Amino acid sequence: MPREAEPSLNEKQFVLQALHDSVRLDGRELEQYRPLELTFGDQYGVADVTLGKTRVLAKASAELTVPYADRPLDGIFNIATELSPMTSPAFEVNRPTETEVLISRLLEKTVRRSGALDTESLCLVAGQKCWSIRVDVHVLSHDGNLIDAACFAVVAALRHFRKPDTSMEGGVLTVYTPAEREPVPLSWLHSPFCVTWSFFGEEGDVAVLDATWMEEQVRSGSCTISLNKHGEICQIAKLGGVPVEAVSLLQCTNVALVKAKDMSSKLDRWLAEDARRRDKGGLLAELSAENDRVPDM
Amino acid sequence: MASSTNVHLSPAELSYLHTSLSLNPPIRPDGRSPTQYRPLSAETGILPGTNGSARICFADGTEAIVGVKAEVEKTRRRWDDDTIFGENQNQEEGEEQDEGEEQGSSDWVELTVEIPGYRDDDSGTVFLGQMLCEALLADGGFVRRLRINRRFHWKLYLDILLISPPLSYPLPLLSLTTHLALLATRLPKLKSEGDEDPFFDDDWAAAPYLYARNPTTKRVTERPPVTLLVMAVGGNVIFDPSKEELAVADVVLAVSVGDDASSREGGMDVDGRSNNSGRNLKLLSIRTVDPPSRLTPPGVANAANSAYGHAQVVSTGANQKMPEARQTESEAVEGVWKPPRGGAKAVVMGALVQKVLVRGGVADEVLDALEGVDTS
Amino acid sequence: MPLDTSTYGLALLRVDGRRWNELRRIHGQIRTQAAADGSSYLEMGHTKVMCVVTGPSEPGPRRGGAAGGASGGAGSGGQSKDAEVVVNIVIAGFSSVDRKRRGRGDKRTLEMQFTLSNTLAATLHTHLFPHSQINISLHVLSQDGSLLAALINAATLACVDAGIPMTDYVTACTAGSTSTYAANDEGADPLLDLNHQEEQELPGLTVATLGESDKVVALVCESRVQISRLEGMLAVGVDGCKQVREILDQVIKAQGRKMILEGTVDKGTGLNDMDLD
Repeated sequence: MPREAEPSLNEKQFVLQALHDSVRLDGRELEQYRPLELTFGDQYGVADVTLGKTRVLAKASAELTVPYADRPLDGIFNIATELSPMTSPAFEVNRPTETEVLISRLLEKTVRRSGALDTESLCLVAGQKCWSIRVDVHVLSHDGNLIDAACFAVVAALRHFRKPDTSMEGGVLTVYTPAEREPVPLSWLHSPFCVTWSFFGEEGDVAVLDATWMEEQVRSGSCTISLNKHGEICQIAKLGGVPVEAVSLLQCTNVALVKAKDMSSKLDRWLAEDARRRDKGGLLAELSAENDRVPDM
Repeated sequence: MASSTNVHLSPAELSYLHTSLSLNPPIRPDGRSPTQYRPLSAETGILPGTNGSARICFADGTEAIVGVKAEVEKTRRRWDDDTIFGENQNQEEGEEQDEGEEQGSSDWVELTVEIPGYRDDDSGTVFLGQMLCEALLADGGFVRRLRINRRFHWKLYLDILLISPPLSYPLPLLSLTTHLALLATRLPKLKSEGDEDPFFDDDWAAAPYLYARNPTTKRVTERPPVTLLVMAVGGNVIFDPSKEELAVADVVLAVSVGDDASSREGGMDVDGRSNNSGRNLKLLSIRTVDPPSRLTPPGVANAANSAYGHAQVVSTGANQKMPEARQTESEAVEGVWKPPRGGAKAVVMGALVQKVLVRGGVADEVLDALEGVDTS
Repeated sequence: MPLDTSTYGLALLRVDGRRWNELRRIHGQIRTQAAADGSSYLEMGHTKVMCVVTGPSEPGPRRGGAAGGASGGAGSGGQSKDAEVVVNIVIAGFSSVDRKRRGRGDKRTLEMQFTLSNTLAATLHTHLFPHSQINISLHVLSQDGSLLAALINAATLACVDAGIPMTDYVTACTAGSTSTYAANDEGADPLLDLNHQEEQELPGLTVATLGESDKVVALVCESRVQISRLEGMLAVGVDGCKQVREILDQVIKAQGRKMILEGTVDKGTGLNDMDLD
């Protein structure tokens, strides 16, 4: 099983020593995120997120299917994560590594279990037909902090996505194509974001946000907090690692709230920009006789 | 899986064991007689959330827990089930219908075995599960107890957990624990009648046992089957082999023994005739188990090992090598262990079966001991 | 309604009659399995867990996938300089009210195994056993809430029984809050040690601490909760962990006393223990 090349002892010690002196390799503050960029694709539901050198692509899609037998009134919602060898030789196709299982579980708890998407709205005919929403997350480049980037991408993709419009008349279900009727957005309740803290040192006293890959290799513990801008925590996962004072964890949570609000406002802004870009002006714009070739006189 | 438990004994030690077990009477390393079992501790009712549970710890530290849970399930109608037409059932039709239901009902019991360190689709684990299940469903009588009415039946789930790492072949331990758990299993008392949707009495104390007790003697009338591990060395049949004894076995068998209910229904004077509880045992199955003694012990050179590259030795045609190889194979040096060749002799099998089934024999002893466990 | 909040406000008693800061009955035993290096059996209320520890021993076939970005320093890159803690959890089909068979690859189980492995690696002195493996095998016999906490406690007990050097006990406990995520009521009480019903209906978290300090080794919260409630729940949880530590310490000391009085020969292995005819 191939492994990623480990950083050398010198590198590890350098990074640790620098962090103890509150200096990071790329010159950021301890609690500063790398620049977060989001691009939407031409199709609805495609979100491409870059967090420094980490790049994650999420694509949402919908399909008509039969609901689960024990939940006839709910639609189906799945998140599939794929870490391919494109990102690192340590990942193999179809062989879920520990990292993949953890990312998958975190995304599931953050987005699925917290009820960000209203699954009851996905039900079309109780017990017979429902929408199955599926988000595929592809990691294109891994330079640390996959979880935060992946969660942001999933939320962006789902908020951007439009599912085909349907109507129900006397027991007959009609699904309209995008040409017939404008697709409708999903019923979205709240937007959760993940904030991952990394702890360094024997005592776990140095806490850092948004670790790069190099910093992740030398960390001794991590804690991922998912919350939305209203201050509701969707999940906290500190799965072992170096023991950290409870008070410090509470402080981390408070800072995480600030970051989540920041991410939320950024996402809102990007979504609004994208909506403006797509909006052709409606009927009036179609009726206009101007075309691009004629220069403005 | 028996083959995978390796005991680190030298060829000289193995040969010494083999010789002492081939004597008449055999001398076992811990001084037991050939039919003597090691002490074990057993308890039932340890899991109040299940319909029946049991835990057995063997003297060598291996331990198993079995939990039985039951669920009401709708009976699938068989395609040739003509009971739709029979409104009033006379006796013959009723009996036919019973037999018809038995045939399709081996899926009313689901048995899973979990052994730490092995995947659940590992061949050894699956084989163990199948052996235990087969003994239970062999005569079809068991699934008849699970019937509630024509439309519903009980689906029984047996979950067998081996708690300790598998040091020796776990079959007898798991089988005894399953037997005990089934003896302790209770199903809620049926309050509905006929073929209506079943509903049950909420009072757990009123729940009858799956294996009914005789109301007067308070003893079990019919018992679930039990599987024993038996080995043979030379002409000697040895019960409850320890893992050192298994390493020198000529042949190892898993014998399933069950109660023969049909023979009892005939006469009521069974109790008067014999001195024990009057159970009639019948042999349900015999399966051979690959003993670890057949593995080539470590330290044997490849040239001398007939299982390795024998064709290679032949094809090189080097006359020098061949006679040597054959010589080391056939020569039996005294005091040095060689894996046994060949299968079980018929005479030995016969003696084994006899010892198991005879009144007052091994099976009786084991079943008596298990009955003594308090299952209230 | 799990708490039956209408009556909770009146008498401040939960469904099983406990107050907000009372633990359930904890019963622990060690040396339950003679054949293993260390073993334990723990009951937290109706949650029953058995643990068997083997090791440190020869490492098994190298499992890949731990490298490449996995968190935690002890387990991943330095496989040769530290002992590897391998955890295997088997949740029996009969453990919950409905019989439910879980496949081996179940993600929730994998996550719990990972959590347990990293939690114990934080306290066990794995640097003393390079190139080796400590196998921890857990069996869940019955589930009634606080599963992860019970698993951590049982694993700690078994490691102490196995004699693996460790810094201090790692004990875990659950804590919850009577308020739902939407409500912002100030009168919401934090609750200690949730059972199954409470876990399903109310927000809760599992917290594991190291010894008698306030240092949190593991914190898992899977439900939606207001950020203002977190402090109360965490404080109650950490306090509960300290209480659990006392109880587990008593269990260990009782076993120690017993071993001094009775001697440490295992039953059933000697000739004298058997009744020969």
